[in-house]
Amino acid sequence: MSTIPIVAPGQSREESTTLPGGPRRRRPNFFPHALLTPALIVLLVLVGWPVVKLVITSFQHFGREQAFGKPATWAGFQNYTKVLTDQSFWQMLERSFAFMAVAVFVTMVLGTLVALLMQRLSRGMRNLVSVGLLLAWAMPALTSVIVWGWMFDTDYGVINYLLTKVTGHNWVGHQWLLNPVSFFVVLGVILVWQGVPFIAFTMYAGLSQIDGEITEAAQIDGASGWQRFWLIHVPHVKQVILVLVVLSVIWDLRVFAQVYALQGIGGIAEKTSTLGVWIYQKGSATGDYGLSAAAAVIMVIMMLAISFTYVRQTIEEDDQ
Amino acid sequence: MKILRMAAVGAVAALALTACSTNSNTGTGSTTPAAAPTTTTAAAPAPGAIRVWFVGTDTPQNARDYLKTTFEAQNPGSTLTIEEQTWTGLVDKYTTALSGSDAPDLVEIGNTQAAGFTSAGAFLDLTDKKAELGGSDLLPGFVEAGSYGGKFYAAPYYSGARVVTITKSIVPADKAAPKTWDEYLANAKALTTSKVSGMWMPGKDWRDGMTFVWVNGGQIATQGSDGKWKAGFESDAAIKGLTQFQDITKNANHAPTDATEGNQQVPFCAGQVAYLPAPSWIKWSINAKEDAKVPGCGSTLGADDQLTAFAAPGLTAGTFAPVFAGGSNIAIPAKSAHPELAYKALQIVLSDDYQKLLAANGMVPAKISQAKFLPTDAFSQAAANAAASAILTPASPKWADVEASQVLEDSFSKIAQGQDVKTVAADLDAKINATLNG
Repeated sequence: MSTIPIVAPGQSREESTTLPGGPRRRRPNFFPHALLTPALIVLLVLVGWPVVKLVITSFQHFGREQAFGKPATWAGFQNYTKVLTDQSFWQMLERSFAFMAVAVFVTMVLGTLVALLMQRLSRGMRNLVSVGLLLAWAMPALTSVIVWGWMFDTDYGVINYLLTKVTGHNWVGHQWLLNPVSFFVVLGVILVWQGVPFIAFTMYAGLSQIDGEITEAAQIDGASGWQRFWLIHVPHVKQVILVLVVLSVIWDLRVFAQVYALQGIGGIAEKTSTLGVWIYQKGSATGDYGLSAAAAVIMVIMMLAISFTYVRQTIEEDDQ
Repeated sequence: MKILRMAAVGAVAALALTACSTNSNTGTGSTTPAAAPTTTTAAAPAPGAIRVWFVGTDTPQNARDYLKTTFEAQNPGSTLTIEEQTWTGLVDKYTTALSGSDAPDLVEIGNTQAAGFTSAGAFLDLTDKKAELGGSDLLPGFVEAGSYGGKFYAAPYYSGARVVTITKSIVPADKAAPKTWDEYLANAKALTTSKVSGMWMPGKDWRDGMTFVWVNGGQIATQGSDGKWKAGFESDAAIKGLTQFQDITKNANHAPTDATEGNQQVPFCAGQVAYLPAPSWIKWSINAKEDAKVPGCGSTLGADDQLTAFAAPGLTAGTFAPVFAGGSNIAIPAKSAHPELAYKALQIVLSDDYQKLLAANGMVPAKISQAKFLPTDAFSQAAANAAASAILTPASPKWADVEASQVLEDSFSKIAQGQDVKTVAADLDAKINATLNG
């Protein structure tokens, strides 16, 4: 109520603001805060509480019995030391980051190429490409893994069949998922296939915001196609690229469903687990929730560190 | 561009937050002890909707229909819904689902997984009801699997044995019933061609792979007098069995070394399999019509006059090799909202009529008295022989965790891939010891 200016009879609104005694002092305004409260409560309950609970659990001995009501005992940093001294944790981390780097690079390059292609296509063809991309993007993760799994099937897969037809060498019986490297190639194909559409659409949106005159001027000055892309287009969409890279890094690091489902089709789980799956197998699947909570906290910290660098950089640039 | 940028910051923040919330589901179950609701009231329970979880496709359709119709007729106003779960990830799923406020009312659970839950207090205590449910007529091994600390929590549901399925078009009569384990393995090698696997043995099929260990006298793990478990894959007997397993997977088998035992009717119906070690109810998948939802080959290789089975033979003629004691228990979650109705449904499941339906489908019924309704075909004969020497997994509440961690799948797969048996066995023993004694 305090925000409604009191207008004395016979005075106009403008006059009321310059009452004797100088300009009216701004009083603290609670209304916007009141509007934010419901959203904040929802956020705190849905996001805040689980995080608090996660952190608490990570310091406890929390097994299946505790899930069913037995009081948990405190573990101190035991869960954390267990995770950090586990050799397989570091191997898995190395594997996850290596895979993420390759997958993000390939997704970004392919996505950008598709975006450039879309710029040059006629309207009809562009719509066709968009629909194709949207279909790949809309496919649920699990469904796509199962279909890709069938395609790479050892005995009856279309990939082995076609390779046999094309090369003349007998590929039937080739186990794509057995060798961890080749497992990650298949996983990479699935993730890139699903990741490219988002990159392509966003890059396309970013690229189409560039003023055509700048490109034209550069062209008149004799800049080659490569120079125009690298020196004009890329700096213009630098922020978009940064966002996409950060998002892809996070997505590819915390991927779970695809890895888990693919392990169900073939391969050795121990040698192909990435961050999310490792946490599940070490903790949740074997009933050691304290351990998986500790690993999850470590993962959250890593993700925050990755996002933080980006957020800080953006804020600094806005300030300039 | 600024708007785009701010939107992007928001998106990153949102994703970072979801990254937290997706992983924080682990272990946020209620910490208040489950007060076991009483099931002793004589009055008819108030009507309600109950949910029954069956796992996999094992329970035949006619039994499901019978359960639903009978329950709804006996309890006017109440409804029963059957929700099918998958075996993969079941232990984790039950831990979350049964400790939450939205728990199902009656759940099937693998006999080897039951101890992980009975010990945690996940199920309603049925000790008082044991006699009413069947008492000494219930399968003893499964009563044991469903009991903990002298109390009875999970009733037997059904049992099954692993037999060797063959089709007469591929396996000649002289190899259709090997007398000894050595003859069985030799036959498997002899039956192998570039197309046919003498024995279909996917690398991750440790449940059938265990027969190799057990027949030679090996053990998964034994409990010492101090209560500590000691895994036994490094013993000479187990090494001998695992070496035979490696020999067979390498020289008598074209199944992928990293595949599980799913959908075995596919290679079988493609004529690529001579000996197929599998649960006896694989018969129904193979025997299914070609145009069924899950197609079989009921008019060719899987026709009734072609399909037969035998129990894997033991070391000496006239004995049978120990097989994995498969099957399920069934229990009422402690957090069920309708424990009295759930008990009514459990009574139907353990009724003679329901168990008879299971028996007719070739599953060993939970009640010994109903076993007479098992079909009199070769499968049931073989299953009966195999079941007589079936072996249960270690009776530890932590055993479910060993299974869930997939170390057995990985280790058997490594052996099938040709890795050094002793190294893999030592590694496997270390992992089993760590989990069982952890």
